[in-house]
Amino acid sequence: MKTTLALIKRNRKLFFRDKGMLISSLITPIILIVLYGTFLANIYRDSFLSALPDFFKISDKLVDGTVASQLAAGLLAVSCVTVTFCVNLTMIQDRASGARKDFNVSPVKRPLIYLGYFFSTVLNSLMVNLLALALCLGYIGIMGWYLSVADVLWLILDEILLVLFGSILSSIVCYPLKTQGQMSAVGTIVSAGYGFICGAYMPISNFGSGLQKVLSFIPSTYGTSLLKNHMLRGVFEEMEKEGIPTQAIAGIRDSVDCNPIFLGKVVGTGWMLAIMAGTIVILGILYLLITDLKKE
Amino acid sequence: MEKQLDPVIKIQHLNKSFGSVHAVNDLSFQVRKGELFAFLGVNGAGKSTTISIICGQLKKDSGEVKIGGNEVDQKPGDIKRMIGVVFQDSVLDKPLTVRENLESRAALYGITGKEFDKRLEELSIILDFKEFMNRQMGKLSGGQRRRIDIARALLHKPEILILDEPTTGLDPQTRKLIWSIIEKLRVSENMTVFLTTHYMEEAASAGYVVILDKGKIVAEGTPYQLKNQYVQDYVSIYGAGEEQIRQLGKPYKAIRDGYQIQVQNTGEATKLIVEHQELFQDYEVVKGGMDDVFLAVTGKVLGGENP
Repeated sequence: MKTTLALIKRNRKLFFRDKGMLISSLITPIILIVLYGTFLANIYRDSFLSALPDFFKISDKLVDGTVASQLAAGLLAVSCVTVTFCVNLTMIQDRASGARKDFNVSPVKRPLIYLGYFFSTVLNSLMVNLLALALCLGYIGIMGWYLSVADVLWLILDEILLVLFGSILSSIVCYPLKTQGQMSAVGTIVSAGYGFICGAYMPISNFGSGLQKVLSFIPSTYGTSLLKNHMLRGVFEEMEKEGIPTQAIAGIRDSVDCNPIFLGKVVGTGWMLAIMAGTIVILGILYLLITDLKKE
Repeated sequence: MEKQLDPVIKIQHLNKSFGSVHAVNDLSFQVRKGELFAFLGVNGAGKSTTISIICGQLKKDSGEVKIGGNEVDQKPGDIKRMIGVVFQDSVLDKPLTVRENLESRAALYGITGKEFDKRLEELSIILDFKEFMNRQMGKLSGGQRRRIDIARALLHKPEILILDEPTTGLDPQTRKLIWSIIEKLRVSENMTVFLTTHYMEEAASAGYVVILDKGKIVAEGTPYQLKNQYVQDYVSIYGAGEEQIRQLGKPYKAIRDGYQIQVQNTGEATKLIVEHQELFQDYEVVKGGMDDVFLAVTGKVLGGENP
């Protein structure tokens, strides 16, 4: 335990002293906010308004709040995972610098070294993503705030789950990599593709039914949906107050992936949490097995 | 006294191949406790492969490698606690301070908290690095960095210190300082020092030397035995004429201000001088060095493979 804590401390110090890694990690959510705001806000707005009957009039604040909440949920879903790939560089750097050679001549068990990488990635990614959450909440506050304290607490829990998921995923993916070049290539692929796969850029409900079925087997789909459910809960409540018919609200909920379907059944938020937690545990066991058994 | 002779490292018929390359070929030798053991060979001779097997970083193909009586494959944890390694290139974290580096490495051996503080204090005195304890590794000079590398290897009080070309790239003064520290530790702690080096004068002070070429031992013994076996002595004589030198009937060559006569050993040199005292007024007897031994047994100059 003390060994792992010492390694976490060491990895975190290396992260904070590597200005390039620190800045690129911090800048990722800011870039995402700018990109989302610039390119997706209008699409989300048009999509939302077109889903409402023509005769229906709702306040601009509610429209802006809905769009901002949808943007923030998608952004955080992407950021929580992609940032872990930026942060989890120490594992690769240690191989390149020879530090791993030094670790390997010591009696420390290999899984402990890798737990050190994992937990430092979790802590560093959480720091960046909580900052992103704060920025997003600020943005929502300007556009239209309908969140309760409970919603914010749920959002923090969702972030923790997604960061744990991203950290374990990046740890497994990065395990066989030897150079920073390979790592940045993987990071680029993940950054480009993950947003589509998890339904952050475009709701999965917009995709074809075959693709929707395939994506329903990917756990991250439910991570994104968790964020959307908690981020938009207050907005939907307000819509009810403004008199929008329940059926119309249900349609909007479906269209933004708040009710994902797995094998014909709607998955509730409780199950989403269970899926994410279960996935983290399974991937965690797999990671420990790989680091213990598989020779580098 | 008998304990001093126990082999702390015992290698028998060790083999290791990488594809078609036979890196280590039926290697057998042993290292005694408290000994300074020199392991010589050009790059690619099999030194690093052997060290990696000893440290448990590489699996052997066949043979026996025992450290402190235990087979390396069977008790890797115990064996790793017995060994401290100073790598050829520093492998500590350049952005971290000396203290931070040693703290994280000590934790790998379960040394934390007050136990670490105590060991750090001891090492900072032995290796004299208190003044730059809080400086980043990347900002230290080559000699200072080497001292910290040695401190890292000594954190867990190992019985065997493996030094892989520890003084390469250091200036002569720093090399001397590093060696005085190592020698002091070897004597005071009865620590076994396993050394690979490109500097022959360092190998000359070893208790035992093994010379490796293409994965095989080509010569071994004490420096004295090796010099006697593989190289000849020279008598340099000044102020004598070539005709007088020729009459001695020994091979010779002209040098600046005199001639250099080749003799088998010091005994032959003494006999020659005694028999021709009138001729030997100004002379010196030069023994063949470890460089000559290495050249004689491998046909290569150590370090010469490097640009």
